[in-house]
This record gives sequence, structure tokens and C-alpha cells, in this order.
Amino acid sequence: MLKKLLDWLDERTHVKDLYREQMIDYKVPKNLTFPYVFGVLALITFVIQIVSGVILIMYYKPVMAHAFDSANYTIMKEISFGWLFRHIHAAGANFFLAIVYLHMFTGIYYNAYKKPRELVWIVGWVIYFTLLTTALTGYLLPWGQLSYWGTVVTTEIPASLADAPILKGIFTAIGETISIWMKGGYKLEDLALGRFFGLHVLLLPLILLGLVSIHLFLVRAAGISNPEGYEIDKKSESEKLAPFHPYITLKEGAIAMWYLALFFFFVFFNMSHFLPADNFEPADPLKTPPHIAPEWYLLGFYEVFRSIPSKFWGFVAFNLILILLLLLPVLDFSPLKSARRRPLFFVMFLVFLFSSMILTVLGTMAPTPTNAQLGMFFTFLVFLFFLSLPVISFLEWGWYRARGGKS
Amino acid sequence: MNTWGMVKTFVLGGATLLFFFIIWIYNPFSPHEEYPLPAQAEEIIKDPRSALEGRELFKQYCTSCHSLRYDGIYLSSVAAKPEWSKIEKSQGKPILEKRDGKLHIKGYFVPRDVYEAVAFQELESLKATFGKIPPDLSTYYLARGPGYLYQFILEPDKILPGTSMPKLFMPEFDKEAPQKVAKIVGYMRSVSEPSPEEKAKRTLMGMLTIGYFVIMGFLLWIYRKRLINRMNL
Repeated sequence: MLKKLLDWLDERTHVKDLYREQMIDYKVPKNLTFPYVFGVLALITFVIQIVSGVILIMYYKPVMAHAFDSANYTIMKEISFGWLFRHIHAAGANFFLAIVYLHMFTGIYYNAYKKPRELVWIVGWVIYFTLLTTALTGYLLPWGQLSYWGTVVTTEIPASLADAPILKGIFTAIGETISIWMKGGYKLEDLALGRFFGLHVLLLPLILLGLVSIHLFLVRAAGISNPEGYEIDKKSESEKLAPFHPYITLKEGAIAMWYLALFFFFVFFNMSHFLPADNFEPADPLKTPPHIAPEWYLLGFYEVFRSIPSKFWGFVAFNLILILLLLLPVLDFSPLKSARRRPLFFVMFLVFLFSSMILTVLGTMAPTPTNAQLGMFFTFLVFLFFLSLPVISFLEWGWYRARGGKS
Repeated sequence: MNTWGMVKTFVLGGATLLFFFIIWIYNPFSPHEEYPLPAQAEEIIKDPRSALEGRELFKQYCTSCHSLRYDGIYLSSVAAKPEWSKIEKSQGKPILEKRDGKLHIKGYFVPRDVYEAVAFQELESLKATFGKIPPDLSTYYLARGPGYLYQFILEPDKILPGTSMPKLFMPEFDKEAPQKVAKIVGYMRSVSEPSPEEKAKRTLMGMLTIGYFVIMGFLLWIYRKRLINRMNL
């Protein structure tokens, strides 16, 4: 019966060919390491976010007077399992960004942004950027103190352009315009809430969906990268390859199951970080909370912004880091791939990874002068990583050639 | 895996785990205040029986300034209005409570804008007296935690200097005062946190879900090993 149905479908859509082509004839290297699993974990988390998000939209009301109550009364207390879906959505947002960061660092470590995968990296960067916007817009929706003041601070950040050393008037005007445009007025009110809601539940997820499809297509088109850093020839080295299904699907499936176990551990037993206490107080425009810090996934950028004495240069610095990430394929131009074969790159990668982590942790700490100096130092190290890439590329390529490597 | 590979895995994996532990579970560096709770008070707060008594105490002591809309408690001056019971029923949603196996209507959850419109006069006069409208306490247990609430209600000025919240309980004159405060906090806890049965249900659900995924992971892993051996991959 099932076979008949499948044959009927196949006659009309050729699904069997598609399946064979995409799952079995598609070969992947056998030596893929554990970090390669983060891509599929990100995809799973994305699906979780969409499903739990759709359920939350049914009960959430994007109006100032009702937003907080719909999140904390209707969803948390009235609807059966509303709490579960809110927990899943809140934990999922954090897990999504965590996995995306791990995925990005894996990509940097194995140089997955180099020829022929530049487009994969660029589209991935756009996904990352859209994801940050989605996270920011979603953060406002519960309309608690943290949501409100977090968004106020975020929308005020472009206004720090007013601190510019030259052309003060122009920069002030630009900064204020962006800031007012983001808030939809001088005050954060219904207008902003409605806009953020629309962006968060419709436009940004649609864009993400499209971008993720393109990203997956590009990975398939360019072929998956290799931890050893060379392209495997499909004909002469076929013993190093294995069919995608079942070799990789089962491995990643098993890891995905364990990942979900960890995820649900947080959902059921450890939500205090993902639903912070301060956000259970309704938004009050007249009462600024004592500690306002962005969510952890932005703390690194926040620390860069905060530790640099001039607001203007702080703003420039953290935007520059984002742009330098996008420019990685250009900065790191040598054809050598993977940190396994590039000792200098490996060292600088460690510097970059640990500086980012330390900057994030510094962001959680109180703003003391010592912390600001530490923040400056680690910001310098992050920039050192990006700026050293052309030099490293040049040196390593020279060594490689001198030792008789092929170009 | 060679030694160097193991060192790398250990360092990179360990650093990542440590990082997420600091960010997500316990952060020793972030500035935070702690409000310790006496053991006796903690016992009363955790006791589900204190919720009922606490509700009466809350109505008695707190409702002249505070409401707790999530449990159907409103300012006493508003609740005393003749039209209020009709407004409650027509605009609000019933809050149901299971008692002796039957559902009872405990009160009505009235939307914030409706409530604030009806209570406009009362809220304005409170604002004129205290400088700000005393907040609705529905979610304050989650926002502040039991330790803060207990200490704050007992001695408001010590915890938050300059606050307009009056000191209502005098342990010097009323020996029962600390217990009363603990019962009020216990009541606020019962509004914000799931009931013990519900909590047990959630724990069981969590255990089952986690167990399912862990076991499925192992089964897939074993199946894959066998399949790969059979296919000579």
C-alpha cells in the first residue's frame, strides 16, 4: 500500500531520484569531526523556534496594555502547556545563538569561508545578522522591565554617533534619525511594539527561512569543507567518502538526540537564566533598573562598546568587528585551509576565541576602570586577529611553497 | 586520535563548556545582592497550606494600596464599588481553582486597561499620596524572590531607603509578625509558581522527555555502528 502510494508520487514528482541524488549519491568525507554537527543542530533549533513561536503567537497580544499579561498570565497560567512553549521558545533563542556562534567558530577554525565556499560564509553572516535582529525584536515582546530598557538602550546606541570628533552636526542628525526610526517616535510605545512584533513573527523568520535554504543549497553546491583542509577528489579518492545517508544522518541524528536531551534539561529544570527575574516586572518608563546589560550573545560587542572611552569610536569598533567578520574571505587570502595545517593561524584563532569569551564574561561584570582597561586590551586582541590574517596568509603561503608544496 | 588532537579537543571543548557554565548556570563575576531567608520563614513560605491564610492576610494588609490581578484581588476601595462585581464578570475571565475535586471560581482576571479605567480615581489618589502608583504584585514573587520580599515587607526602609512603602508589621508589638509576613510571601509564591501536583507532573514530564532522547540517541548510535560494519564503510 505504502509502496504503491510512493510509486504513484514518484511517477509524478520523481522524489526517488531526488532522494537518491541528495541522500545517497551525495558523498561526504569520512573524517568530519564533531564540530561539523553544529550546522544540523542549528537547523533543528530553528524548527523548534518556528513551531513554539507559532503556538505563542496564538495567545500573545502585541499591545502595551496586554503584552505583559498575555505573556505572564494567559500563556504561563491559563493555557495548558503554555508555560512549556514559552520555556522552549526562550531557551531555544539562547540555544540557537549559542549553536550559531559555535558553528561560526568552527567555520573560522576550518577556514570554511575560503574558495569555493565564500558565498556560504557571506550568506551565513547575513543569517547571523538577521538572527541578532530577530532576537532583539523578540526580546521586547514580553514587555517586562528588561525587555523595555534593553530595547531603549539598543535604540539609543546609534545616537552615540553624536560623539564624533568631526562633522558633529551631520553625525548627530544621522544617529538621531536612526534612533527615532527604530523606536517609531521619541518614546518606546505601542507603535514600536507593533512593529517589533510584525518583524519578529513574520518578516524576519521569512527572511531567515529563505537565507537558510540558500545557505544549505550553497553548502551542497560547493561541497562540505574538510578538517584536513584539502578538497577530496570524488573519483580518485572515493574510499575517503561515505554516502550522506546513513553514514552522516545517523551520526548527527544520535548527537541531535543528546542535544535535545540537554535542551529539555534546561527547558524543564533550569530556566532562571533564560527567563530572568527582572523581566517579571512590567515595563515602567519612569523607573530605570540598576543593571541593564544586553543578553549574553551581544555582551562581547557591548563590552567593546563600553570599554572604549569615546562612544563614537566604541560604536565604530563593534560595527567594524561585524564587518571584518564578513570580510574574512578577503582578509585571509592564502589558499591554505584549516587550522590543522596552519600553526600561526591556529595561535591567532585561539587568541580570537579566548578574547571573545573573556569579553563576553567581562560584559557581565560591573563597569569598573580595571574592567574597562581589560576590555580595551581584549578588544585590541580581537582586532589583532583580523589584522594579522593577511600577514599570516602571506607568511604561511611562503613557508608552504618553500617546503615544496604545490600551489 | 593522536595526543595533540586530544589536547586540542580538551582545551577547546573545556573552554566552551566553562564559558557556557559561567554564562548560563553560575556566574561568580556578576554583581548581585543576596537576601537571606530565616529557616523558619522559608518553611512557612514553602508550605502550600500557608497560601490560603496568606491570601486572607494579603487582603487584610496589602489591598488598600496593592492589587494582585492574577489571583483576582483588586484594591479594596475598587472592589467595594457597587458596579465592580458586574464589571468583573462582564469584562474579566474567571480564575478557576480545584477544591475537593470540584472547580470553583476564585475571582476574575480583569484586563489591565479596564481595571485601570475603573480604578482611575483611586489610583490617582494613591499616586498623590505616595508619589507613584503602588505596583500590582502579581509577578513580584518571580521578580524579587522570597528573601527580598520577606525582608522588604518586614523592614521596607532598610532594604530600599527612601521607599514610600510603610512598615506594617512590628515584631516588637506583634509576636506573630514574622510568620504573617512569611505567609503573605508564601501566598505570593503560590500565585506565581505551579502547585506541588503540577510541579511533580512537570518534573516527571521532563525526566521522561530527557530519558527518551538519551535512549534514542544511544539506540541510533548502536544501529549506526552495526550498519557501518555491515556495509563495510
